[in-house]
Amino acid sequence: MANARALDKRRKSVRNIRKITRTMELIATARFKKAMDRATAATAYTRRITQLVSDLASSGLQVRHPLMEPREETNSALLLVLTGNRGLCGGYNGGVIRQAIPRHSELKASVSKLRLEVSGKRGISALQFRDIEPDEKFLNFDDQPRFAEVEVIANRYLEEYAAGRLDRLDVAYTRFVSIGRQEAIVETLLPLGGIEGADSDAAVKEVTTGESMYEFLPSAESILEEVVPTSFKVKLFKCFLDAAVSEQIARMVAMKAATENAGEMIKQLSMTYNRARQSQITGEIMEIIGGVEALKK
Amino acid sequence: MAELNCIVVTPEKTALETKAEFVAMPLYDGEIGILPGHSPMIGRLGYGEMRIRAGGKETRYYVDGGFVQVADNVVSILTNRAVLGTNLDAAAAREQLAAANKRRATTDDELALRDRLVVQARAQIHVAERSK
Repeated sequence: MANARALDKRRKSVRNIRKITRTMELIATARFKKAMDRATAATAYTRRITQLVSDLASSGLQVRHPLMEPREETNSALLLVLTGNRGLCGGYNGGVIRQAIPRHSELKASVSKLRLEVSGKRGISALQFRDIEPDEKFLNFDDQPRFAEVEVIANRYLEEYAAGRLDRLDVAYTRFVSIGRQEAIVETLLPLGGIEGADSDAAVKEVTTGESMYEFLPSAESILEEVVPTSFKVKLFKCFLDAAVSEQIARMVAMKAATENAGEMIKQLSMTYNRARQSQITGEIMEIIGGVEALKK
Repeated sequence: MAELNCIVVTPEKTALETKAEFVAMPLYDGEIGILPGHSPMIGRLGYGEMRIRAGGKETRYYVDGGFVQVADNVVSILTNRAVLGTNLDAAAAREQLAAANKRRATTDDELALRDRLVVQARAQIHVAERSK
């Protein structure tokens, strides 16, 4: 029979772990709420940009921009991988890496110049473990990515794309679908496939009339020239926001499961401990009785 | 008199939502003032000072490019950054100006980038000094 004292020690350590995971769960919940609020607040901008584009489209303007035209030949590509800086969040980082690696090797085979940029310590070390060295590393994105920081990266991509040094941009991240569902995906952000609002039904209907109630200052073309890069920046920002929210949810779920498992383990350990103690007591009583019996003779 | 409903949105959040009597903002090629009853319009913003007058009081903001959409007495301003004039960091803007002036620009793209940085920095300094 197992040693009762050893069992008790083990139970104590499991209890401590449970305390830690429980705290981490609570922290993740609080952070998730904050990140979620930010993500919701950010949708106001996206909604208005969409509205703006559909207003532009309804004025009979062809929504065309160099950023939206696919390149005839893709010579240089860039893969951006968004992972977390910290672990203990279930399959969150692994999921993104599992999506990113096949795309990486696929692009490597078809494109002559491929660069890899990774955000998050976990992603960097996971890729380095597989002998893939990122060209650029970001560690400054946590649960609340700031637009100013994302904009710097976005501007660099736009510049390189305009200069012809970049033909394609893929982003591997975890998309937030709902609180119960997040999925790791790889999305192509450049060239921009299309802007939301540009081909909505209402816009198409009004194009035929070719009239719009809006006056454009200085001109619709000039506004379009600015809208397209902005919508790219917002799209990239949304990737970062989604990744941040998903990370917190993943951590929350993982820590909740860990807490529950620790609770179950404590229950089981307690049972074995009680049994061990009981058998010890029984053994001692038997010894005493045996001694008494022996003295009687 | 009708009032304007002024909404300032940045990619991070809705920065401001307020009633106003008059709004002035920098467009791409000059300033525009908007009073209630303005005809529907979409404009491209420049870098500079946005003034919002509500209840006789004027508030100054620095806006960093973007768009403005006016319809039905609702002024929606979409900008990368909207900072209250008193919260602006004039010293940082001066640094940006000095750094931008030192940049070497040999191609058209680089020239455009340098010009943008210079204009941004100057506008920030201007707004910061006016709202003191």
